[in-house]
Amino acid sequence: MAPIIRMVGLTKRFGGFTAVDRLDLEVEEGEILGLLGPNGAGKTTTILMLATVLKPTEGTVYIGPYDVTKEADKARRLVGVAFQEPKLLWVDSPWSVLNWHAKVCGLPSGERRRRIRWVLEELGIWDVRFKSAHSLSGGTRKRVEVAKILVQRPKIAIFDEPTAQVDVVGKHKIWGMIRELRDEGSTIILATNELHEADVLSQRIAIMHRGKLLVCDEPRRLKDSIPGGDVVEVSFEGGVPEMVTEELRRIPTVVEVSAARQNQVKIYLNRAEEALPRIAELLLRLGLQAKSMRVSEPSLDDVFAHYTGLTIEEAQRR
Amino acid sequence: MRALLAVVERDFRYFLRYRWWIAGMVSMNLADLFIMALVYARMTNPDVVVDYFVFFAPGLTVTAAFAAAFMIGREVNMELRREVTHYMLSLPIERWKLAAGRVISGGIRGVAYVAPLLATTLAITNAYTGRLPTPPELLTVLAVLSSLCLGTSGLSIALALSTKSFEKYVTARSVVYYALFFCSTVFYPLSLVERVFPPLAIPARLNPVSCGADLSRALLLGWAEPTPFMLVDVLLYALVFGLLAASSYARTTRK
Repeated sequence: MAPIIRMVGLTKRFGGFTAVDRLDLEVEEGEILGLLGPNGAGKTTTILMLATVLKPTEGTVYIGPYDVTKEADKARRLVGVAFQEPKLLWVDSPWSVLNWHAKVCGLPSGERRRRIRWVLEELGIWDVRFKSAHSLSGGTRKRVEVAKILVQRPKIAIFDEPTAQVDVVGKHKIWGMIRELRDEGSTIILATNELHEADVLSQRIAIMHRGKLLVCDEPRRLKDSIPGGDVVEVSFEGGVPEMVTEELRRIPTVVEVSAARQNQVKIYLNRAEEALPRIAELLLRLGLQAKSMRVSEPSLDDVFAHYTGLTIEEAQRR
Repeated sequence: MRALLAVVERDFRYFLRYRWWIAGMVSMNLADLFIMALVYARMTNPDVVVDYFVFFAPGLTVTAAFAAAFMIGREVNMELRREVTHYMLSLPIERWKLAAGRVISGGIRGVAYVAPLLATTLAITNAYTGRLPTPPELLTVLAVLSSLCLGTSGLSIALALSTKSFEKYVTARSVVYYALFFCSTVFYPLSLVERVFPPLAIPARLNPVSCGADLSRALLLGWAEPTPFMLVDVLLYALVFGLLAASSYARTTRK
């Protein structure tokens, strides 16, 4: 299947500062792509170029068959963006914001009202639909911003930090609605610096740092790409015999084995799920009784740290 | 076309939200007319202006139309500062339609604002001259005021999109206000400008605000013959600044 979004050497400079640096990335139709990176990574600038709000300095993006540098009006018809900062004027109410947005997007009156009602009820903001924006909480304003796109249901839906300031229940609701939108055939781009959000929603994650694309792959494969990223902790009834560590090191996916305590070993390995049967088999063969086994996999923060040498918090601070 | 109408409707809806403020502004305009102009009427030399009160009434209508149409710029500048412009530019609507919608809504705001003042002016000029404009004359006055409002709306949008700084915008707005009103025939006739400030006579003659005011006076009071130049000048003003606003919207995407 041809990609619905194709970024080719996409670059944006503001004076001497390069916000997005030669981005080459393709997004398949119907997938959820997470754009992960700290603040200042270039996610929002990339989104603004996809939405034809900013013109690329170099390179281009193809939205469907349309080159945004040449056919911006046509490209824009396929895209809807829920911005990081809610774009509301203070005199607006959620209802008027959504009604106007839907009207500009060409939704007929009956359908418009039906969709707005459904989205407002689903997001739990039906009761405040006629209140002006300045009296709404940050989380509610964010929901209204997300609601615009859920009402519009564009072919390509872009969400920039869709659940920032939203409570846990609201987060899960929004995630569910984004998945539904994808299931209906929309392609989703999710820009976030929230690792868990990227992990649970995205089929692929593109990690950006300082305007560059570092890596793009499925979350599982990104985690597996860290050598020794999985950790298996085995606790024994008694002490840990010397030969166990030697034998464990012989298992192909094991990278390192260390004795954490007198009766415990920590095994650093790749693809723990494949190695676990072999570890169990080894312990059985050696006649050792394990008291407990605990498996932990790397987080996306570990993935980010692996590719940048920084945790996402450190990168944020810089 | 539906999207363009939606843009117009939104801006006009925002305008109506300020209805009490608008009512206050109209009252102040009327106070200008009934206090200031009446006082000035007793102070001015009748050889220069026969009756300043009647002279000023059509000028005030033009001033008010200009000020009301300029309001759209304040909102566009606020949108620029709050990055609501990003949202507007991301909408599935052609840029020219977005720009045209905003310019037209600014124009409609001006016309709506000026309606009570125009009615007052008609009452005053009727009381003074005993005549009412014919329907074509009235339509011409409305067309001139509408064109002036459209041009002003375009000018204010172009100005608003030129800077993110509110201070710079307000300063530029004041400069435009003072330049256009000072070098105009809104407050004093062209003959006075030619006599007292000769270098300003040509700008005052070309100024669309002057043309709007003089054309209104000609048609409502019958004090002078309306000239095609006045109409063309105001129409050109609307066209040039309408296009400037559209190109300013297009330019914001190239930053």
